[in-house]
Amino acid sequence: MKLRSDHWLAYGMILPVVAAVLAFVVGPTYDVTTLSFTRFIMGQDRGFGGLVNFEALASDPQFATVLTNTGIWILGGTVLCVLLGMTVAVYLARDSKLTTFLRAIILLPWILPDVVTAMAWKWMLHGQVGIIGQTVTDLGLTERTISFLGDPDLVMWMLVAVVVWRKMPLVALILCAAIRSVPQEHYEAARLDGANSWQQFRFVVLPHISFSLTAVTVISMIWITAEFTLPWVMTGGGPANSSQIMATYIYQQSFQFFNWGVGSAMSVVNLVVLVMIVSLYLYVVRRSWRSGAAK
Amino acid sequence: MSLRMNRRSFIAGSTALATASLWGMPQARAASGALSVWKFGGTPREVEFWPARDEAFRTANPEIDLNYSYFNGQIRRQKILAGFQTRNLADVIIAFGQDIPEFAGFDMIQPLDAIAGDRLAGWRERIVPEVLETGMHEGQLYGLPTYVDMASFLAVDMDALAEAGFDAPPKTWSELREYAKALTKPDRPGIAFPATTAPVDINIFEGIAYANGGRIFDEETGEVTLAGPGVVDALQLYADLIADGSTPPGTAMTETNFRDTAQLFAQGRAAMWIGLSWLNTPWGTPEELNWAGSPFPRPDTVSGNYPPVSALMDPTAILMVSARSENPEAAIEYLDFWSQNEQLALWGAAPEYSRIPGGKVAWESEELANRWPDWVSAYNEGTLFDGAQPLPRFIGVSVVESALATAIQQVVLGQQTPEEALTAAAEAAQQQIDLLRG
Repeated sequence: MKLRSDHWLAYGMILPVVAAVLAFVVGPTYDVTTLSFTRFIMGQDRGFGGLVNFEALASDPQFATVLTNTGIWILGGTVLCVLLGMTVAVYLARDSKLTTFLRAIILLPWILPDVVTAMAWKWMLHGQVGIIGQTVTDLGLTERTISFLGDPDLVMWMLVAVVVWRKMPLVALILCAAIRSVPQEHYEAARLDGANSWQQFRFVVLPHISFSLTAVTVISMIWITAEFTLPWVMTGGGPANSSQIMATYIYQQSFQFFNWGVGSAMSVVNLVVLVMIVSLYLYVVRRSWRSGAAK
Repeated sequence: MSLRMNRRSFIAGSTALATASLWGMPQARAASGALSVWKFGGTPREVEFWPARDEAFRTANPEIDLNYSYFNGQIRRQKILAGFQTRNLADVIIAFGQDIPEFAGFDMIQPLDAIAGDRLAGWRERIVPEVLETGMHEGQLYGLPTYVDMASFLAVDMDALAEAGFDAPPKTWSELREYAKALTKPDRPGIAFPATTAPVDINIFEGIAYANGGRIFDEETGEVTLAGPGVVDALQLYADLIADGSTPPGTAMTETNFRDTAQLFAQGRAAMWIGLSWLNTPWGTPEELNWAGSPFPRPDTVSGNYPPVSALMDPTAILMVSARSENPEAAIEYLDFWSQNEQLALWGAAPEYSRIPGGKVAWESEELANRWPDWVSAYNEGTLFDGAQPLPRFIGVSVVESALATAIQQVVLGQQTPEEALTAAAEAAQQQIDLLRG
């Protein structure tokens, strides 16, 4: 009897979360999916359109560029975020006054508002008045100042650099906490077996933090996919669409061109691609995160 | 059958009839209740004085609970669309005239003719007819303009001009290239123009293209006309200025919008810059800078297929009433307040706002005459608006302008020739327009 009442209590306690997920995740996802099959233009529902919005996407000469840029944005951003985050985490995990101080301030980029971050970087990277280009020129590395955000070959990588600067600290802090949770005995055992620093990291630390690493990688991927303000404020998708990514293109289609059907179709494509990438990643690292979750 | 009626029943009956008929009549009463207003864009000083004048409105209309909000002009379409879809649109929207066809097409705004009543006569009396005309769409008045901006203009550093041996700003495209080259120094380009995707940057270019007989869209045929000779040759002018070495690098201009370009001019980092009529808006132009503004030079020979326009104009603080307003009486009261000379005179008494005033009273201002003598004399002669047209406005305008922005950037970056870039842009925009227009 007690077991039965516990059962209902448990359901009652998760009910708010389930309701929130239904209202804020499942509901909008359903709406967007429905819209993607609807001719919804200029605020008017023009009826079921089948695949017309997806066909419009396929024939859009810009869409291939958008997909390529999105690939650089998500994969480049995630890989660099996690690799750099891991490097910083390994350093921060050491005990010293400096690392204690750094652990306290590393979240500064994270807490700055998106628009402030975007505007600050935009001006620092500006070709005519930006301090970064000016410094590079003063050091004699270039003859003229570089327009980092105006150069189509550089702009995507500059955006990736800024998003990594912004997102990496939290990744580093989470991984740092995971690394610091590795029991000292494991290190001692490895040292007794003659393991060097790299081998200790590879065979002691990595298996221990694999669950955190997987989680933080997936979360980073989702964060970066959902990031809109930084690229939009810094470049608006330019120059010549060379930094147009899914997030900005969906916004442009939906809120500038008022073409909600195509905007929704793009959101569906975005969601499917993200689910596929995350699933593939989770499949590849399934052993490590399953063992981590079982701990 | 005879109808018998005594005096008492006659009086009672006629009183009842009169009461009944009066019951159904609209009652003349002062507007009251809540009124929300969203204003988009404006120079910093305008952003200050608008709510300050609203205080006078509150004093004059104590029964109206005015709720005023200001937003950045570049996000107006998104904000208004979101408000409309969520049924939270303000009663009065102060946005750009270029938006009218799309907002009217959405049924977001309502024609004022139907709700303004006898206020219309006063508006016609106080507002310059050509400016009031910019609030019209398909024969109906959808907005009350307070001023217009015009495209395109040229700001010139007069000291730099004199140093190069010239005494007046260039008048033609070939002169512009010659002057820009002569004004160029190793650390200071002769001319700068904004080439980001910001709508104003595109409007600036449109002013040049339309003066060359170009058009971006043909409303009659539904055809995107970006690849016409008028637009192609105007973009070639941009390409030529870059090829002459008279501008900052193309990569710098694609990341520098109108506001930033104005600031660079004010800092002496460019000898000329191309903008709209508000060249001297307070984006940081210092007092000691000896500069002049003039209409953008004309093409040596017009090459476009359409009649050249002298200027494009758009009312960028036009008051519109939401179609879903629950308090249209108060909304009209607010519009009428802003149509009064006390408010309209602001743009004449403070020429640094650099708008082209909509109120007739503003043109009588001495300060305006001192600052913009050419404008005032042209206004007095009745020629100021000769050959001027509203900025392109049609359903899908942002699609075409977005494609145009991409083409401009491709040319500025040297990726494509104007013809290639504009042909591709026209095709892409046509596809989108066809989708939008069904």
